[in-house]
Amino acid sequence: MRKFYCSLLALIISLSAFAQTDKVTVNGKVTDEADGSALPGLSIIEKGTTNGASTDISGKYTLSVSPNAILVFSFIGYKTQEVEVGNRTTIDVSMGSDVVQLQDVVVVGYGTQQKKDINGAVGSVRNNEFKDQPTTNVAGNLQGKMAGVNITSASGTPGAGMLVSIRGASNPLYVVDGVPMLSESNSSLATSFDTEGNVVGSGQNVSSIADINPNDIESVDVMKDASATAIYGARAANGVVFITTKRGKSGKTKINFNYYTGMQKVARKIDFLNSQEFVALNEEARANDLALYNNDNTIFGPDFDPAVLTDPLNYGTDGTNTVWLDEVLQTAPIRNYELSASGGDKKTKFYVGGSYFDQEGIVINSGYKRLTVRTNLDHQATDKLSFGLSASVSHSNNRRSFNDNTYTGIITNAIGASPLMPVYDEFGNYSNYEDYQVNWLSDNPVLSANEIIAYTATSRLIGSLFAEYKFTPSLKFRTSWSTDYSYVSDDQFFSPNTADAEAVSGRAFKGNFEQLTWLNENILTFSKTFSEAHNVNVVAGFTMQESKSDYTSINGQGFPIGSGLQKISSAAVITNGANLETSYGLMSYLARVNYDYRSKYFLSATVRADGSSRFPKDKRYGVFPSFSAGWAISEEDFFGDGKTVNYLKLRGSYGITGDQEIGNFQNVSFYQPAKYNGQSGLKPRNIADPNLSWQSNEQLNVGIDWELFNGKVSGSVDYFKSNKKDLLNNSLIAGSTGFPTITRNAGEIQNSGWEFTVAATPVANEKFRWNTDFNISFIKNEIISWPSDGQLVSAYNDLSPTHVIKVGEAMGTFWAVKYLGVDPQTGDALFLDLQTLTSQTASSGLIDSDDALIAGKAIPDFFGGWNNTLNYKNFDALLAFQYSVGNDVYNLIRATYQNVGWSNEGGVDQVYANNWSGVKDRWQKPGDQTDIPRASFINQNYVENSTMFIEDGSFLRFRTLSLGYTIKPKSPTWFDNIRIYGQIQNLYTFTEYVGFDPEVSSTGGGNPQTAGIDYAAYPQPRTFTIGFNLGL
Amino acid sequence: MKYIYILFITTLLISSCNVLDQGSPNDVAEDDVFTSEDGANSALIGLYNTLQARDYYGGYYPMMSDMHSDISTAGGFDNVSLQELSDLSVTSSNIFVEQTWIAIYNSINTANAIINNVDDINDAAFTEEERGHIKGQALAIRALAHFDLLRMFGEHWDQTSDFGIPVALTKQGANDVVSRSTVAETYDAILMDLDDAYSLIIADDRSQFFVNPIAVKAIEARVNLYKGDLAATNAAATEVIDDGTFQLLNETSFTEIYTAYPSSESLFELVFDVQNRSGYNSLTYSREDALRTEVLWIAEEGMNDFFASRAGDVRADLLDFTNNDASIEPDGRTQKYRGEENRNNPALIIRIAEVYLIRAEANGFTQAGVNDLNMVRTNRGLSAVDVADFASAEEFLDAVLDERKAELNFEGHRMFDLARTGKTNEVLDIDDYKSIFPIPFREITATNGVLEQNPGYDE
Repeated sequence: MRKFYCSLLALIISLSAFAQTDKVTVNGKVTDEADGSALPGLSIIEKGTTNGASTDISGKYTLSVSPNAILVFSFIGYKTQEVEVGNRTTIDVSMGSDVVQLQDVVVVGYGTQQKKDINGAVGSVRNNEFKDQPTTNVAGNLQGKMAGVNITSASGTPGAGMLVSIRGASNPLYVVDGVPMLSESNSSLATSFDTEGNVVGSGQNVSSIADINPNDIESVDVMKDASATAIYGARAANGVVFITTKRGKSGKTKINFNYYTGMQKVARKIDFLNSQEFVALNEEARANDLALYNNDNTIFGPDFDPAVLTDPLNYGTDGTNTVWLDEVLQTAPIRNYELSASGGDKKTKFYVGGSYFDQEGIVINSGYKRLTVRTNLDHQATDKLSFGLSASVSHSNNRRSFNDNTYTGIITNAIGASPLMPVYDEFGNYSNYEDYQVNWLSDNPVLSANEIIAYTATSRLIGSLFAEYKFTPSLKFRTSWSTDYSYVSDDQFFSPNTADAEAVSGRAFKGNFEQLTWLNENILTFSKTFSEAHNVNVVAGFTMQESKSDYTSINGQGFPIGSGLQKISSAAVITNGANLETSYGLMSYLARVNYDYRSKYFLSATVRADGSSRFPKDKRYGVFPSFSAGWAISEEDFFGDGKTVNYLKLRGSYGITGDQEIGNFQNVSFYQPAKYNGQSGLKPRNIADPNLSWQSNEQLNVGIDWELFNGKVSGSVDYFKSNKKDLLNNSLIAGSTGFPTITRNAGEIQNSGWEFTVAATPVANEKFRWNTDFNISFIKNEIISWPSDGQLVSAYNDLSPTHVIKVGEAMGTFWAVKYLGVDPQTGDALFLDLQTLTSQTASSGLIDSDDALIAGKAIPDFFGGWNNTLNYKNFDALLAFQYSVGNDVYNLIRATYQNVGWSNEGGVDQVYANNWSGVKDRWQKPGDQTDIPRASFINQNYVENSTMFIEDGSFLRFRTLSLGYTIKPKSPTWFDNIRIYGQIQNLYTFTEYVGFDPEVSSTGGGNPQTAGIDYAAYPQPRTFTIGFNLGL
Repeated sequence: MKYIYILFITTLLISSCNVLDQGSPNDVAEDDVFTSEDGANSALIGLYNTLQARDYYGGYYPMMSDMHSDISTAGGFDNVSLQELSDLSVTSSNIFVEQTWIAIYNSINTANAIINNVDDINDAAFTEEERGHIKGQALAIRALAHFDLLRMFGEHWDQTSDFGIPVALTKQGANDVVSRSTVAETYDAILMDLDDAYSLIIADDRSQFFVNPIAVKAIEARVNLYKGDLAATNAAATEVIDDGTFQLLNETSFTEIYTAYPSSESLFELVFDVQNRSGYNSLTYSREDALRTEVLWIAEEGMNDFFASRAGDVRADLLDFTNNDASIEPDGRTQKYRGEENRNNPALIIRIAEVYLIRAEANGFTQAGVNDLNMVRTNRGLSAVDVADFASAEEFLDAVLDERKAELNFEGHRMFDLARTGKTNEVLDIDDYKSIFPIPFREITATNGVLEQNPGYDE
């Protein structure tokens, strides 16, 4: 009969041992089964009592117990053991490591629980599964690791934000050592402009979560269902990710030094036509059109001048053949240094660490540097009082790349640039792009990369002070005070020789963002076992949070030419200055009751009442409850000996969580400042809904956890259904109000699906061990109701609609004209005209955005990962795969590089943009069967917003391969261990996708309504690193 | 135990402060605006600012009109919505149409807030005259905005048509929906606002950056011309001309219209500055070496031929058909909005040359009409014409329309001129229903079909 004690509970109880009579004194030593090393800090308790002790620094313990006592040895990461004392006074124990997932301790918010005791759906990843991977954002380490969690890297930019979607809901709440935060982009620097210089789209997205060094993280626990998340009530609708950083353990001081260095190269490139092929395509386009014109001289209209079809383009003859992607991409170094020390005694434990990360980007002149320092302290002042600190300071400097979701970025331009154009002219100056025949360009791409200089520097302090007081062994009070302070400084300079700033002699932008969030949490916890059978854990608390942000920006233009000065004070004219301040507050009451009977029957209930300043006074408070139950069938007597099936648990949960993520002050109709004729006045800023209130998310989850063959194989199956109701929505209102949308509660979206996880240890002997786990998730996203059904949205403010929001369809459904293929006789691309239901060419005048229909979706049918760790003697290996099937990508930028010779407007001696090598398969003579239409100079033989550019984005990615070797000295020496390793990240991707990477979302991924667009995002690198871990 | 007291005390302390009451230091609550004369003045400044929106007189409104005509064509990257304007096949999901609709109603509602509130402000120092001056300007702007909607989305040439526009005379709440008025009702509302505005704005005010009474009369003349009430047109235009404040520049000084902000021709223009820029320069010129992709609003090749047939017309010089960048040829760029550095080109809402041409049309094929036409011609390097030079009234009208094209190109008139004179089909070779734009699809969706689509655009 196995017993499960919450090891934390055991620890606490063991610290408050008190004397009893009629005792025998038992002592002994506890060692690690694997290597015989002493285990300090392990807890031993006399079963059924609160009497206990813990091992000292050399693993020894002494404890007075009743003669017939049973001792329970428990320690995080090891299998709990029970030993009968009998008549012995010396009991040595060796502890086997706990490989079975279900015995893990999981952070659940205001406490921890054994995974087995949880009735909800939880995914966990430990440090050893992601350490030393060359990523800036911990989310990048979690890709493919957990069922139901789909993580997309929208851009390969160093320090880029990641799209984290938990069961179809994006942007979860992160809780770092108890401090809640969102993954936000606090930089106001724009990397995306339209031709008029207005900011369009979201541009590059940087993430505030990148301020946390992934290697400081001990574990990441993802709460997926309502029973696990409802304790975070109002902010839990999209799931909660608990990040726990490393803390010290009492015992010998351990010093670790980690280092890696390596190279990054673009993982997948797009192949473009060389000069010769490019000229051939354009001449073929002219010849094709000329043949049509000779056949029917009215075909291009009465004013058409046939000269443009017979005059050859001015191609130049100097043999220039520029491969533009090679000019703007580079093999970029990456390196990371880390030094940490941890240890302590019975009273005080510490972890201190520092790191320096330096990554150059694979696009020239981009990169990311980050310095972090962390201190985690725990001190036991008296038997009853303990306190501690978790603090991290980080500073990062991101050399921003003018890229992503822009008409005018480096990659966007390089994709269209003519191979006939040299990078530099004969005098060594940037060649003048206006002199070459590509009018897609807005600047020489290398010039853009060199002469648009932008940095985002972020300083961040996240600190939490906490104190805990134990009234009795079963009742404790914990209070914590946390702050999250960040300061973001943006600098951007367009030098006077960029096309953007030529007319104004250079322009610059300076932005500052300062945010201070404070949080106070007060938690009372009662935990007790009654009659050896009823385990009760009650948590009740009160929390308050306030956040203030201040944002300042200045724009200036007119810089002294040739001076090199870039700061705003050198500007001749200040063109804009802004300062804004905003704030919000939250006040919450929370409670949770966990009960189990002999770890057989589990019940749990939580409730949280949250008040938010973002809602009108009478709608401020939302109450978010959840209930869950579990039944460990394998613990029943009737279940048998459990030799094959060790563990089987059924669990279910239901709950409601909320969302308040709208901007501040959306609940009031405001007037904002507005200038005219040198005077400042006021005009309406918004139109407010006085009934604005919480968004709620009802979630149902049913699951089974199982374990076979002594834990050799284990897994779980979950079914879930979540309904997001009263969505905080920018819903359409009549334009006669003067505003396009209002923030109000409207609409409902349902996510439902299945998740399967299997973990196994197929081989485990003294020499060789293989752990493998596989997960797969099927998620269906469906819009149940929407305030304006059929609403069209565009990924870009100034483009035709790219997406539709329609009841019955998934969020992120594409809207495009249907491409019917190439007419084998004429070579023209044919599209479906919805008015006449006939196939028509792009130049017929009949195909326009009214012919668009539903054409694919950004959300995959299923996705998951397969992860393997292998150990052979002192060698270790990690092989991680990630896959996604059934997701489409709207490759809008391919319309540019598959223009098949179009001249933009026709009749000019210019060509539009280069083409990818795929156009070599174009139609060339009657009878050709192909998907690529004939080359045409005058007629645009494609439609940008059409299914021609919607591609299957399914992929299988060999994400990580690492090989390591560990040296462990037989006899004590100056080091404990050294591990040397090599690693390849993003090794290979199997996909049919044409662009750089199918895992793309040029709109930054933040908005699921316009997901799945590829508009020349920063490409993803493949990273090779070698490194070592040195333990002292 | 002492520790626990400390903990409880701090908890109590903190719970006494309320974090749920937050205020925005950047904005003013709506209810606090109309509480004083200063508040009303601020709201008026804000109203002028709304007219400057990119999607309205910041640049797009006049661009849309001229693009949907024989004056200009689309540059830029392959922007489907822009191409639709240039190709004369605008769909109801066109992004320009969608955003302009909202931008114009934003001005209407900003005006409504002033009109609805200004008389009720409890401020003893705020005189009737001052209140009237503010309210009058708001009324004039509301009339202008309703008229701009009518000529872009309503069958403005047909007094019997049901397809006017939604007329909003009170500030709209989030759930308010207004259905379309008839064309006659729309004209009535516009003219009533103009009448009221004229009587309320201080009579001797002649400011050019704010609506003055003479500008109100000029707009009234324009509205009546569209409406077809020639007598009223004539009366209003005559009042403007006879006032004498605003004078035609001559053939050498006329470029001041586009360089002196404001010139003596300007009855009402919106002033921009380097910190509050207009879109005209970036839309039409951008920079010396600009490529076709950088300039959205390009002069059609046909304008070159048009001016070639008008020997001596100095306005031809404002069009540049030999660009630095060959990619723009054979089309060209207007030079009306130079000012690459500061991008502060004003939005010319109404000027005296237009008023002469309005009266020429109202006078019709008469000596008075020819005289009005000659006023503009002779100040632009052309010789005067005689009644005898025209074979018919039709020919005279064509001459006036050509004069308007020569004078007012790139100022947002051509699409409407063709529509109101029934020449859309003749000149542009498109179906007559395309004389106006479709009601934006998003409006039909957002109003659950309360707004009816324009005839011909039904699917």
